[in-house]
Amino acid sequence: MDNELHELEAELKRLRPVAPAPAVAADIGVALAAPRRRFWAWTALPLAAGLAGVALLRSPSTPPAPVPAAAAAYKPVSAENLLYSQRDEGLVTLADGTTARRYRSSYVDTITWKNPRTQASLRWSVPRTEERVIPVSFQ
Amino acid sequence: MTLFRKAPRTERMEDIPDDESWTDWFQRYGPKLLLCARQWTRSLADAEDVVQEAFVRFWRHQRGLGGEPQALLFTSVRRAAIDLARRNSRRSAREEQADGGLESTEPLFETPLEGDDRREAIETALRRLPAEQREVLVLKIWGELTFEQIAAQLGIPPNTAASRYRYALGALREALTAADCHG
Repeated sequence: MDNELHELEAELKRLRPVAPAPAVAADIGVALAAPRRRFWAWTALPLAAGLAGVALLRSPSTPPAPVPAAAAAYKPVSAENLLYSQRDEGLVTLADGTTARRYRSSYVDTITWKNPRTQASLRWSVPRTEERVIPVSFQ
Repeated sequence: MTLFRKAPRTERMEDIPDDESWTDWFQRYGPKLLLCARQWTRSLADAEDVVQEAFVRFWRHQRGLGGEPQALLFTSVRRAAIDLARRNSRRSAREEQADGGLESTEPLFETPLEGDDRREAIETALRRLPAEQREVLVLKIWGELTFEQIAAQLGIPPNTAASRYRYALGALREALTAADCHG
């Protein structure tokens, strides 16, 4: 690239993108305050099993390396969430009498790890169902 | 000088203190994520929804994965934008084109103390770039991703990402020069 393009590049880098509206941060706070599921309890076991399997396949004559050491060599390169179905389940009444609409979405979450040194990769997929209950108001 | 010069050191999970709150992260990454989301969605409101969904998903499920958080955050935003586009396309096939977030009139960048005309000229030129060049430019300049990370994100070879970036910068320069000439 010539100098002029470098100058333009530097000028662009000085521009600061506008921030999301304060309501976005507020909504994130509400969402993160909601009870969370133990995601890692489900991911740790298959990952450990997968890495142990990789270690076994790569050096069948030697005992497998301890999983934490093997796991440290793998870096996550992508985490994808594929939405494959979404259903509107209609109106429901919540415990406090509020009327809400329930949506059910089905995903396949796929996480890929890669060992940058050996280029070996490990992909883990798991189905996930998400249920959203959105209060509705009638006019 | 080659396009593949060494990228600036990016933040890694290991460098981030455990006690750093999500608000610190959101303050740091929120504007960049929103800019990226706007090119993959139809409106600013959609882009903000996408950023919210992606950030919550990242913070809850992906923050502990290790590696470079920034690349994972942008992947999360892109996936959320694709999911939203799918949901919208189910509602209305004619709304399938998801390239309107940058078409809206809301500014993309904060107004600098001086040179607001220049900012407007840059925004106009940016909006007119072909989408495939613009997304690479945005991910590189404001997302601070490497060409390898952009390539992985978009499913293209790193060389293609680099050449799209070069074309985008060239097109921007041309547009800005023309804008300067026309006053």
